[in-house]
Formats: sequence, structure tokens, C-alpha cells
Amino acid sequence: MSQVNTEQRPQPATTGTTLIVFVGLGIAFLLFLAFLNVVKSGNLLSESNLLFAALIFYAGAGALYLGFGVTGIESYVKAASLATWVGLLANTGAIAHRWYDAGHPPFASVYEMLLSFVWTLAVLTLIAEKKYHVKVIGTVTMPVAIVGVVLMQLLRTDVHPLVPALQSTWLHVHVTLAMLAYAACALSFALAMMFLIQDNMKTETFLAATSIGTIGIYLSIVLTRFEKWGGLSLIAWDSEHKQEVFLSKGVRLFVTIPDLGWLMLLALLVVAAPLVLYALAQSKKNASLLAIANRAVFISILLQIMTLAMFLLRASNGSYPSLDADGLFATSLAASPFILAGLVGGIFMSLLYLLLLWRRPDLERLLPDANTLDRITYKTICIAFPLLTLMIAAGAYWANQTWGSYWNWDPKETWAAITWLVYAGYLHMRITRGWRGRRAAYFAILGFGVVMFTFFGVTYLLPGLHAYA
Amino acid sequence: MATSPKTVSTSAPRKSLARKIWQTAASIKTGVVLLILVVVFAAAGTVILQRPMTEPDDMQRAYSPQALRFLDATGMTDVFHAWWFLGLMVLVSLCIIAASIERFPNSWRYYSRPYKYPDSSFRRALHPQKTIPIPDEETGLVSAERALNSLGFKPERVIREDHFAIFAERHRISEMAVYIVHASLLLIFFGWIVDGVYGWRGYIRLDEGQTSNLVELRDGGTRPMPFSIRCDSAGQENYKDGTPKKWWSKLAIVDNGQDVKAKEIVVNDPLIYNSVRFYQSSYGENGKVDKLILTATPNASFNSAGPGAPPPVPAQPKLIAFTVGDTADLDADTTVRFAEFFTDYAVRDGQVYKRSNEMGSPAAHLVVTSKASGKSFDVWFPPLEEVADNSKAPYLLEPKDLKLGHFTGLQVSHEPGQWGVWTGVVLLGVGLAFVFYVIHMRFWAVPVRDEKTGQLVLWVGGSANRNRDAFEQRFDVLISAIDKDLKPVSSIAPSEPIAAAVR
Repeated sequence: MSQVNTEQRPQPATTGTTLIVFVGLGIAFLLFLAFLNVVKSGNLLSESNLLFAALIFYAGAGALYLGFGVTGIESYVKAASLATWVGLLANTGAIAHRWYDAGHPPFASVYEMLLSFVWTLAVLTLIAEKKYHVKVIGTVTMPVAIVGVVLMQLLRTDVHPLVPALQSTWLHVHVTLAMLAYAACALSFALAMMFLIQDNMKTETFLAATSIGTIGIYLSIVLTRFEKWGGLSLIAWDSEHKQEVFLSKGVRLFVTIPDLGWLMLLALLVVAAPLVLYALAQSKKNASLLAIANRAVFISILLQIMTLAMFLLRASNGSYPSLDADGLFATSLAASPFILAGLVGGIFMSLLYLLLLWRRPDLERLLPDANTLDRITYKTICIAFPLLTLMIAAGAYWANQTWGSYWNWDPKETWAAITWLVYAGYLHMRITRGWRGRRAAYFAILGFGVVMFTFFGVTYLLPGLHAYA
Repeated sequence: MATSPKTVSTSAPRKSLARKIWQTAASIKTGVVLLILVVVFAAAGTVILQRPMTEPDDMQRAYSPQALRFLDATGMTDVFHAWWFLGLMVLVSLCIIAASIERFPNSWRYYSRPYKYPDSSFRRALHPQKTIPIPDEETGLVSAERALNSLGFKPERVIREDHFAIFAERHRISEMAVYIVHASLLLIFFGWIVDGVYGWRGYIRLDEGQTSNLVELRDGGTRPMPFSIRCDSAGQENYKDGTPKKWWSKLAIVDNGQDVKAKEIVVNDPLIYNSVRFYQSSYGENGKVDKLILTATPNASFNSAGPGAPPPVPAQPKLIAFTVGDTADLDADTTVRFAEFFTDYAVRDGQVYKRSNEMGSPAAHLVVTSKASGKSFDVWFPPLEEVADNSKAPYLLEPKDLKLGHFTGLQVSHEPGQWGVWTGVVLLGVGLAFVFYVIHMRFWAVPVRDEKTGQLVLWVGGSANRNRDAFEQRFDVLISAIDKDLKPVSSIAPSEPIAAAVR
């Protein structure tokens, strides 16, 4: 979906309506495709159709918000806001449908939690826009929502009845609080980003950091997974039992997807280019090299998206040979959560950097001034922190009812506590040490990073009792 | 407020070491460093495989022997129960205590003796503030009082020498909220530590009908309880798709030989007795036979009574239900005994062996005995040709149903520090609500002579401890209310329209 957003970037908007027409046509085309699908299946308001509609409109809104960032045409924001409303409506329908089908609120699996998270995020975006007049907040929150909905497509799960441990009122209390808290954290992150845009900070340091971050991602992929003759090894996946394939106890079977390794290597070189140009610009004191470096970031995003698309296509379909065993084996995106997360994270990081570049007077005009943004960020965290506290308390109480202990140091609990400590640190630095502005904004961004790790990272990377989500 | 250790050592070199340590403990820097350490080690504890949750085999596969030795020696394989992690938590507690004690006297002074009369230096520095021209002191003061009343404040007159001033405030308690939060955190820590020292957790596995008072503790030991628990029955209910919907156990507490409490527990709903809690944790087949149901038909080809005996009557098959060790009569002469049951059997050299205690391929051993002849015949389900020939027995036995017994697994925990934790949590919620949403607002009004023009003005100032932008709007409302009250000096009852305007 990010593809939609970025492809429209280089097109110079001749009139204020160009992008709206483009996005409108795009939405119409996708809706037409969806319509064909509806005719085929004969079911208009199925959950997947509603979710697909939500995705289309969120993507349209994201494209318009980003388009506004490039061109500064105000009518885009209005259209984007409208698209967000429609997307939210479809999202609400999807939630209602899921709730009705399952007979319980959609809180029981990662898929269902994401559904609620994206919904809350869209609601908060609209609130921030209407109440606090942070009109372009969607530039950050909509891509997050899009990533959420795309992940949901990958995670598609059937409706499962609640296992005994989840049959508790505390489930609903706990998860509602979690969704509210996490969405508030996402909002504070978006506001902190807006603050950085408004605060006229130096972008070069971010150029280097973004480049180093993406280099780290691709370097670790290439170093660990690059095979002879340009293949990429991935863990084989047994789709029947939904688990990794083991050769023997503890030894996983790797399959090699041909040529994908070369693509990763190429991506590594391209994402390294901005850093090299940055280093050159610093040593030669040549500012024009920085402009080239910025363009290189843009090119690297296109390549990264292509890499992700190739990875998605090839890993989710087809069978591949293995170096360790005869025959062909399938793999799955579920078998490579690290790589998938890395690729998506790299694109996201680069997009955020591009966002910082759009420091235009008309964009600044549509944002409250830096001080106000700083204060709203703080206010949002003042809302998120008590919610986080209550979420942890409700979870502890529920754990005490179910497992006989209020605190088990299970990874999810531990990371929830770490999130709490990070925000507690933010509040202390701000209140007692008077941290304002940039330092506080970095802290808010860090806090959201920890939230995301607690939400996704712990679920997929660290095992524990908290297996439902 | 916070004095960093550096300034202490330079300004007062002779201050005692204890004082220095105290200052270090109370500084925000120490607190932040400790919190970072907690975060780092807690994160490490989620990444490094932890004992005893991870099997020793998996540990050995994951780490090299040297690495594992190092991790074990440093306690990194059980971070959350390592002495140094507990020590770190205690240090955090001490730091919170020290910081609170260090700052408390100031806050208490602020709280117990509110600053009511604004002197000139305070008036210069305060923001927001405003001056309104007034005809005389009393009119100004009365207007300020009316305006504050209309905003819902209770203004009081403060006398300083020959001057009057107006002071009004709301939610002074907000200044103390942070101490409520810190105290509640300490209470939670305290409860947690009490649980760590005096609490215990374990597991009891009960077969249906079994009574026990021995808890298997996590470290492998056992702990007797002063009372026993009995499981009367246990079961599972499934959804249509076969996934479990509910596990339940009917439990009874036996104290001094008497049933004192009974409850059907399910997941999420424990039985509590004498502050020991029993949770439904697992459920399954216990490998014992509850009932074997079989039919017995007289064997037509059997000829034990010798020639001349009446041919066997083609009788109705007889239904028998019994369990291991039971004996049932087949007729006046013949009995059948349920001798053995294997959960998982293997045959070698004509002998039946137990392969495992898990439910694998089960086998039942029955013995049919004829009293008259004193002969016994082995019968096996399933028929085992190498061991015995089922058809030689005087009755043909056919299994109809095998009902296995069940066990229920109970988590048992005793957490005497719980009250501290939950009280702390409630207090924490209240404290945070006060910290973030209850604002201490203060207003002052004092008639003064303007320094430049010498005109008599009413100086009005306000202060809030948080959410200052919202407070400034409120301040503006107050100013316009005072303005409105002052303008129609001659009007008779100005306070009502003002109240309406303010609202």
C-alpha cells in the first residue's frame, strides 16, 4: 500500500485536484475490483470486503495526506479526512461483523486486536484533527493503520471460540484499556513527529540514522540468509500443522529461494548510498551532495518496496529446494517474521525521513506551532500513561484469577512493565527536569517503539503464556 | 528541591558520608540510572531462555557449555528470581523513599501553609497576571470576590499590615498526589516482596475421588497443608468444533475430618480457603480404569465339564461392568476377574510389558476361573495370540466400552502479600488521577498603586500546577468577570448577570 503513496510523490501536482482525481480513480478502480469479487461470491457485506474497503480508503487517505505534504494543497487534507471517515465506517462494519460472527468482542487473537487497534487509531486521528486542529496527523497515523490492515490480511484467521482462560470480563477490560493506551501512544508518536517537522530541526543527522538503520536491516538479512548463487534461505513451513519444519529436534529446515538473495544485496547497496553521499557531503562540505542523498533515499524506498513485494510474492507461493534435504518445500511469511518485520520497518523508517523533509511554510501553517504540539504530545502521554497503568493492573488481576499469580514475569508482562517504565521516565524528565521540545519528542518516539515491540515483537519473537496475542 | 551530589561535595566538603549517600539516593539521576538497569535486565530476561520454564535439553541446545555456565553463574538464566534483581528492586524502592523524603518537607510546607499574600517580587514574576483600574480598594476587592464566587471558588480576605488581599484556591491536594503515587508503588513492592518471602506456589494432581494435602512445589519439594482437598468429579465441555470450552472440578475441603467447604471451580474462578487458592489448571485421563463394560457369552466349543455334561444353553450374553481388581460372577461356577490394565503395552517373548504410563495402546488382562475344576484362563483385550487364546475360556468375552478415570490439575497458591498489591494498585489509580487530572489552581487579587502612573489598580494573578493553557483561559474569564462587575458600579445587583456571563 505504501506503493500507492510513494508513486504519487514525484508527480508534480499541476492543479489542486490532480491527486484527488488520481486517488479517486484509484479508489474507484479498486472498489470495482472488489465489486467484481462481490458479484462472484454473492456476498456484499462480508467481513473481508468491509476490511478491504477500509484498506482502500485508509490508503487513499494516506496518499492524500502524503500528497499534501509534497504539494501543500489544502483541499487534499479535506479529501483525506473524508476518506478517513469512510474507511472508519467500513472498519466499524468489519468489527461489528466479526463481533456478531464470533459472539464476543474482537479481542481474542492478534488479528482481532489489530482490527480494534486500527479502529481506535482512526478515531483518535479524527479527534486530533477536529479537536486539536493537527490537520496532517494522518500523514503518520494512516501509514500505521495501513500496515495494520495489510498485516491483518496476512494473519487472516477463522473465528475461534474463546478458550477457557479467555472467558472473563477482565479480558474485555484489559484489552479495551490496552487498545486505548496503545492508540494514544501511537498518537503521541505522530504528534512528536509533527513537532520535529515544525521545530525546524537539522535533517542531515536523521539522514545518516535512517540510512544506518536500513543498512543494519539488509546487512543482517544478507549476512545470515544469503546463499550461494544468490539465493535466500528461509525456514520451511508446514502449512498443514502451521509450524516450522524440523529436520531433527531443534534443527530447522531451510529452503532457498533463488535470486532473492541478489535482490537483497542490491537493496543493501542502494540503502547504503545515502550514507556514503552524506559522508562525502560532510567531508567536502558540499551541500548539493545532500540533495542527491535525499533523492537516493527516495530511490531506495522504491527498491525496498519492490524487494518487499518480491519477498511477499515468492515466500507465500511456490515450493523451493533445500540444501539439507531432497525435494521441494513450501515456506510462508509466518516462517520469517523477522525478515518481514525488517523489510516493513525499513520502508517505514525511510518514509518517516521523507516526512521530515517536507518542511514547507504551508505545511507549517496547517500545524499548530511547535510549543502547542509539544504540549499536546505531553497531554496525550498524560492520557496514555494512566491507561497503561490500568491495563497492566487489570491484566495482573485477571492473571491472578486464571494462573494463580498476579505477576509471572512472562515476556508480555515484562515488556508491558518496560513500556510503563519508559513513559514513567518521560514524565519524570519532563516534570522534574523540565525536558521539553526535541528531547521529549525523541522520548515519545522511543516510547512508541517499545509499545510496538510489546504488541508485535513479543507475540512473534518471544514465547510465553500470553499466547493469544 | 533536587540537589545533585556534585554541589553538595563542593559547597559543604565536611558533610558526612551518610549525607552524601543520602543525597545521591534521592537524586533523579540515580533513579533514572536504576530504572535503566531494571529495563535492561528485564529485557535480557525475556530474550535469554529462562529456567525452569525451559527444559534443560533445550537450554543445552541453545547455548554453548561455556556460555551456559556463565549465564547460570550470573543468574541470567533466572533473572527475575536472582538475588541481584531483587536487590535492584530494593534499591529502586530506597531511591523512591529517599527522593520522596527529600522533597516532602518542601511540598508539605507548601501544602500546609499556603502562600496567600502576594508580595511585590512574587507579583513581578507571576504569569498570568493583569491589572484593572479601580476607583477604591474596597470596590475592587468586592468585585474580585464576586467574580471568584461566580467561578465556584471560595475567596478569603488576607490581611497584611493595613492592606487587604483576596486569595482563592482549589484542589490543594493535587500537590501531594505524587507522594500518593510513590507510596502506592512502595506498597505494591512491599506486597510483592512479602509474597516472595512468605508465599508459595505449587500443584496438586487429584484423581476423581482422591483426597490429598500435599502440594508439589515448583522447586521439586512438597509442602503439606493443614487441611486436605478432595476432588469429587472433574470434566471438560467442548465447543462444536472440538476445542475446549470449559474445564470444571467439584472440590471439597476436608479439615479435621469434616467437609468444611465445597465448590465447583472453573478456569478464572478459584476456590479459596484459609487464604490458599486452588485454580483449575489442567485436566486429563489418569490412565486408570473407571469402568470396563463387556458382554460374556457361554463358549459353545468349551468342554471343560467332560463328556456327558449337558450341552451349554445358548444363553443371552451377560453384561458386566467392573474395574481393576474386581471379580464378577459369570455363573454359579465361573467368575471373571479384572486382573491388570496397561495404558501402553508391548509383547516380548510371550510376556506383556508396560511400555509407558502414557495413554498409548491400552490392554486389559482378565482371568476367568472355574471353581469346580480350579482352572484359570487368561483373556486379553485386545486378543494377544502369543500370550493367550481367548477362545479357550468357558465364556467368550467381548469388550463394549472402556471408561477411563480423570484427573484434575490444580494450581495452588498462597500469597499473603496480595492485599498490599491490590491496595497499592487502587491507590496508584487514585494517585495518578490526581496527578494528571486534578489541578491546583490559585488566584490572588490585591489593590496596589501602579508604579508609573500612580493610579489605584487591582492586581490579579493566577497559578496552576499543570495544564497551564487551559488555566489561562480560565484566568481570562475571571478578568472579564471582574471587569464586568466593576463597570456598572451604580447597578444594584450585578452578581447575577455576571454569573450567567461566566457560565
